Amino acid sequence: MMDSKAAFWARGNQEVSLARLYIIRAAALLGIWGLFPTVETLATHTALDRGVHKALISGLWVTSLFALRYPLKMVPILLFELVWKLIWLLAFGLPEWRSGVGSPQLQGDLWSIGAFPAVVVLVIPWGYVWRNYVMQPGDRWR
Amino acid sequence: MASAAKSSGRGAVTDGADLSLVRLYVMRVIYLLIGLGEGSQIAPALFVHDPTARGVIPSLLSGMCLLCLLGLKYPRQMLPLLLFEMAWKYIWFFAFGLPQYLSGHLPPTFSDDFMPITFGVVLMPFVIPWGYFWRNYVLAPGDRWR
Repeated sequence: MMDSKAAFWARGNQEVSLARLYIIRAAALLGIWGLFPTVETLATHTALDRGVHKALISGLWVTSLFALRYPLKMVPILLFELVWKLIWLLAFGLPEWRSGVGSPQLQGDLWSIGAFPAVVVLVIPWGYVWRNYVMQPGDRWR
Repeated sequence: MASAAKSSGRGAVTDGADLSLVRLYVMRVIYLLIGLGEGSQIAPALFVHDPTARGVIPSLLSGMCLLCLLGLKYPRQMLPLLLFEMAWKYIWFFAFGLPQYLSGHLPPTFSDDFMPITFGVVLMPFVIPWGYFWRNYVLAPGDRWR
């Protein structure tokens, strides 16, 4: 019992632990569930909707489907989630919150976007990222 | 090579020999185009904007541009970004752009959005290495469940 429990959390000779794979999959499920209301609006939007926001979110929804099966290969999407939400927090969320002149959606966005980097940081397998996206030699140039 | 492909089932790590050099360069050009070309157009909006601007679209796009620069070093491993780029542009084109164009009811932002997004819709199918995608993101066994 202890052995299987330890094996669940330990990386052993694998890239990441089984626990980490499940954490990424849980984040993917959260994305599939949480973003679906936006995907639904693709069929019901108003005629003059700009749609870029909805299309971007729906694109992320598609990538979360892949992340259920291939959590490690979809790590770039996790990095993307971290980076764009941090950018939003630093360039829009925090300045607007501090100035007190935020947009009507600011409260909602602060939770759904601004709080997420703290979650994504815990989901990303940093050791794996370090080995494969920093230390590993890049693809060949010639 | 066969053993390398087998062991890559748990990560996306081989030496890059499974894609031609031409393909790697085509992908790098696109990463560069998105990263620097699109990035230089989007980035100013992060610093100079209406104080109540919602900012979701420029944040998403500039995050994409920033990460695409990592694609210069690892074109294969950053492929999910190109898949995302293709997915959202196709979704926009068929759910918004094309119906609006055909109906003639255009939102004021239409002229800004239509050309760059349609450009991506036409270009991305030629950039993505479909054989590699098929082998690694469809046929390859998923990461382990137990």
